[in-house]
Amino acid sequence: MKKTHIAALILIVISIGVIISITSDFSSWETFATAQEAEGKEFHIVGELARKEDILYEPEKDPNYFAFYMTDKSGEERKVVFQGAKPQDFERSEEIVLTGKMEGEEFHASKILMKCPSKYINDELEVKAVAAEN
Amino acid sequence: MDIQYTGEHLLPGQIGRLSIIIAFVFALTACVAYFISATRDELSAASWKRVGRMAFFAHGAAILGIVASLFYIIFNHYFEYQYAWQHSSRALPTKYILSCFWEGQEGSFLLWSFWHVVLGVVLIFRSGKWEAPVLAVIAITQAFLGSMLLGIYVGDYKIGSNPFLLLRQTMDAPIFAQGNYLQFIEDGNGLNPLLQNYWMTIHPPTLFLGFAATIVPFAFVIASLWKKDYTGWVGQTLSWSIFASMVLGVGILMGGAWAYESLTFGGFWAWDPVENASLVPWLILLAGLHGLLIYKHTGRALRLTYGLFILTFLFILYSTFLTRSGILGDTSVHSFTDLGMSGQLLFFMLFFVLLSMAFLVKDWKKIPSIHEEEKLASREFWLFIGALILTLSALQITFTTSIPVWNKFLVLFRKIPGLSDFIQKDLAPPVDVAGHYNGIQVWIAIIIALLSAMVQFLRYKNSDTTKFFKALIIPAVIAVVLTVVIVIALEIYPPQYVLLLFASLFSIAANFNYLLVVLKGKLNVGGASVAHVGFGLILVGALIPNYTQRVISINNEVDFGNSFDEKNKRENILLRKGKPVLMHDYMVTYKADSVSGADNFYVVQYARINKETGDVREEFTLYPNAQINPKMGLIANPDTRHYFTKDIYTHVTSVPDKKASEEAEANFERDTVTIGDTFYLAKAYAVLESLVPNPQHENYQPDANDIAVGASIKLYTLDGKIFESTPIYLIRDRTASTIEDEVKELSVTLRVERILPEKEQIVIGYKQKDLDNDFIIMKAIVFPYINILWLGSLMMAFGMLISLVKRYRDNLRIFRS
Repeated sequence: MKKTHIAALILIVISIGVIISITSDFSSWETFATAQEAEGKEFHIVGELARKEDILYEPEKDPNYFAFYMTDKSGEERKVVFQGAKPQDFERSEEIVLTGKMEGEEFHASKILMKCPSKYINDELEVKAVAAEN
Repeated sequence: MDIQYTGEHLLPGQIGRLSIIIAFVFALTACVAYFISATRDELSAASWKRVGRMAFFAHGAAILGIVASLFYIIFNHYFEYQYAWQHSSRALPTKYILSCFWEGQEGSFLLWSFWHVVLGVVLIFRSGKWEAPVLAVIAITQAFLGSMLLGIYVGDYKIGSNPFLLLRQTMDAPIFAQGNYLQFIEDGNGLNPLLQNYWMTIHPPTLFLGFAATIVPFAFVIASLWKKDYTGWVGQTLSWSIFASMVLGVGILMGGAWAYESLTFGGFWAWDPVENASLVPWLILLAGLHGLLIYKHTGRALRLTYGLFILTFLFILYSTFLTRSGILGDTSVHSFTDLGMSGQLLFFMLFFVLLSMAFLVKDWKKIPSIHEEEKLASREFWLFIGALILTLSALQITFTTSIPVWNKFLVLFRKIPGLSDFIQKDLAPPVDVAGHYNGIQVWIAIIIALLSAMVQFLRYKNSDTTKFFKALIIPAVIAVVLTVVIVIALEIYPPQYVLLLFASLFSIAANFNYLLVVLKGKLNVGGASVAHVGFGLILVGALIPNYTQRVISINNEVDFGNSFDEKNKRENILLRKGKPVLMHDYMVTYKADSVSGADNFYVVQYARINKETGDVREEFTLYPNAQINPKMGLIANPDTRHYFTKDIYTHVTSVPDKKASEEAEANFERDTVTIGDTFYLAKAYAVLESLVPNPQHENYQPDANDIAVGASIKLYTLDGKIFESTPIYLIRDRTASTIEDEVKELSVTLRVERILPEKEQIVIGYKQKDLDNDFIIMKAIVFPYINILWLGSLMMAFGMLISLVKRYRDNLRIFRS
């Protein structure tokens, strides 16, 4: 067997090992309930802003505290706390992707990804108001 | 009844649509003609080649026609076309019109296609006997790319997306029932504000030229296998693969520069799937380039080289699929929108997978290889290892980037009974994406840096190991000393980063040494050394700023107690207008804001002060801007203060909603006062001094019959300033009106609402903007030594350019002799 073959083989074995081990880095899509089962561990959760609850962001008191309520895919509603500024137009988000963990009854988000209505495509046609005289 | 539409410009669209069909048909024609030419004997081959050429030129002309029509439509704001309406607007500065062109999928396919035409024409004239098979491969690719623009239906399946569709053809709105609908569409949707950056006018064309250039090594591989000529392709392919590596590398780094300058994630690389999608083919291309060097000098590693160049192109197609099929969905912030072409893209990719596998497998046994074993102390052995490791690096990145693709497979597995219990949940990307990639790639970078330091000192076939180790002593000592100094100065302690720092510095020192000592400073043959020094600098320039970057806008105003954990970084700071805040070494003041077009600029003054004496050592002003975009919310554009050794990077994270607060403040409060009375405002107290007849005001033109009274008011602020104001009460033609007066410095507007002569009183109305509501929330980060990264990028590109020139000259010499 040639040295190059041996080297290639070793590298392939190592990389298989690495790939198996990195899959443990992979996260999963959870709900608040399943995230609660592993409190303190970070997950991804998809949901919608619970619009009937208040969105709390008072930058004059603290520009790094932002809290809101989100309803996850199973319909459960929880308070979410984010250490940072409120993303502009948060109220208009259609879907929210959170990364973070459960801490007691609250979900502490480390990252918020908003899906806004047609972020790149807007199919609403803005039409100049037709004057009454026409 | 048919509606007669007026005001539309249909000609450019018709030319464009026609050009698309012509381009597609001639791409197929060129492919067939070149294919026949490549398989025939010499005599008929020549005539078929001429046909192929003509067809390819016609195809190229048609592509230019499409480009010109689309550009004409966007440039002239013909919003009757969906593409122009969706990607541009009138307010857009001319310099960004080009960016509109490639914002959409169709435009970027067109750009890619355009570069293939340019490269194809160059190859027609320069590739000699390889023209027919190489151009056959390019032409078939062009047919695939052309089909992405067709926009025709075969049965129910739509092939491609045509950029020349009219708005009224793509949208169903009542307005289109009117023939003169265009009069009511005043403006387009506009370009995504994030793309309104000068990098976005040069990054995409460069990146797509890099993408396009990877087809040349691929086409030569296919041609070589096809014609069973295993040596003649090497010289040209070497030049082309260096060219492709250089352009693609520069394109990727430009993307990093754009992200650094205009995005707000704070950095130049986020391991976003879209970034990874162009990094992966580049890494494999580099591996292939090094494989080709082994083959050229020793006759080994031909199969590996073939495989890597094929893989490079296949990964270009795979990244096209990833970024354009919409599959990345929730995992990337900036992939293209789904145009429903995923099936077509998949077919595009699978076609080339099968084609190249067929060529490779059919002649696998015939591909020459050397059975005698290589020496351990040979350059080829370690180049081989390096190529493998680069490939593994690319595969790891692909493996994680492809999580959404794995999920599609998991869906299939779930249907198998018994397996469904094991695979319940969809996979999600790692929680800490950057940590995930960095954790693995740092080790790969260490090995690659060490190899790039040493390999040039080895000779092909066999080398003297004593000499080899001797040559490396000085660079190693220099690297150790520098590593120690930097580690202590910048407090970089994690062992893998220390190792990476050492390996990169070692590579820089060793390649520098090679250039000076072995090559005696002859730059024209030292391209590889220069490129490797550049690569080492890129690693250092990525490591140091990334590890030592510091958020300086830490908010210390609020005490949280223990309510939050270590994640509580308090990275945003609130700045009230005019109120200085101490931030790290800087006294920072939000001075003013101004509006220019769609951009709001915030004037933020930095003063570096001596904390003991309070002296100002240095002052500068940054203008971070934000577009309050009706569709995307706040789009912050950072502003950066560049120093030789660091950058101070500032962006706005939030601003109060001024409109809402202005509306709320539109209400007047009122007080009833007699002369000499005092009333209180938020920022001052005011005294009614007197009532003056025949008052003067810039908004008041006196008339002979007017009855006008001015209320002379003095306003005293708390810090001792005095302002005067004279609002006017006017009776003209028996109608009472009031002329307001604004004291801008205090944001107060005063008016006389009524005069009560019987009580000798007047009613003063005043409204005041809430000054407390004028603030920004801002984040500031210091990136030390980021310039090393840019320097390294330039050097790497320069080194590759030197090699390219040298290889090109070598080829010419062979060509002539």
